[in-house]
Amino acid sequence: MWTDEGEGKVLYVQTHGVTDPGRCATPFFLAASAAAMEVEVAIYFTMYGPTLLQKDVVDKIGPKGDVGQPLSYFIKQATDLGVERASGAGMPFVVEELLASPLGRAARGLHLRVGYESLDDLIDGVKMIGGAAFNDMAMRADAVVSF
Amino acid sequence: MPITETPAQVLDCKGLACPLPVIKTAQAIKTLEPGQVLELLATDPGVEPDMKAWTTRTGNELMAIDQEGEVFHVFLRRNG
Repeated sequence: MWTDEGEGKVLYVQTHGVTDPGRCATPFFLAASAAAMEVEVAIYFTMYGPTLLQKDVVDKIGPKGDVGQPLSYFIKQATDLGVERASGAGMPFVVEELLASPLGRAARGLHLRVGYESLDDLIDGVKMIGGAAFNDMAMRADAVVSF
Repeated sequence: MPITETPAQVLDCKGLACPLPVIKTAQAIKTLEPGQVLELLATDPGVEPDMKAWTTRTGNELMAIDQEGEVFHVFLRRNG
């Protein structure tokens, strides 16, 4: 998942979702800042984290609730910065593989209140990875920050 | 030392909180030619350590930070 073209790598792990909005904005803030610093950055969404990437959610949740910019604004800022980099590396949003299906979510005990049915319900650009890929990303990162 | 060079662009980020001044600065400086100066206006109290970290990482030059009241004037030169 890493391109090895940045000056460093930071991997954020987001476990909270729409039911806990007070803990949802900071990973996006930090990831956007890291992207602005020309650091290669990714956010791994697991547990309830993928609920933040629903197409009909990113415009409704923001760091200050209904006030200020929604998450979609910071997602766009960060991904735009990545795309503009000479390396062409964007800021991937990666989702735990098991959470991509209702069966997988049930296996995780997340079949209630998750709110999406498939990756088609999530914003564009989301990639799905499994545990091995996540572990590889974590071991190759300069820092892993978990929320 | 006061900056005598006229900035090629002034970026007004007054009233914006972290991380927006950093993000907008990163975007704005890419529109300049190497060697040109960007003046950032910000009221975010964290702008000084943020700009020091950002320039260290990106290789752009932090020329000076002046404060007038609540407004920080940050002068940055694009690396080339």
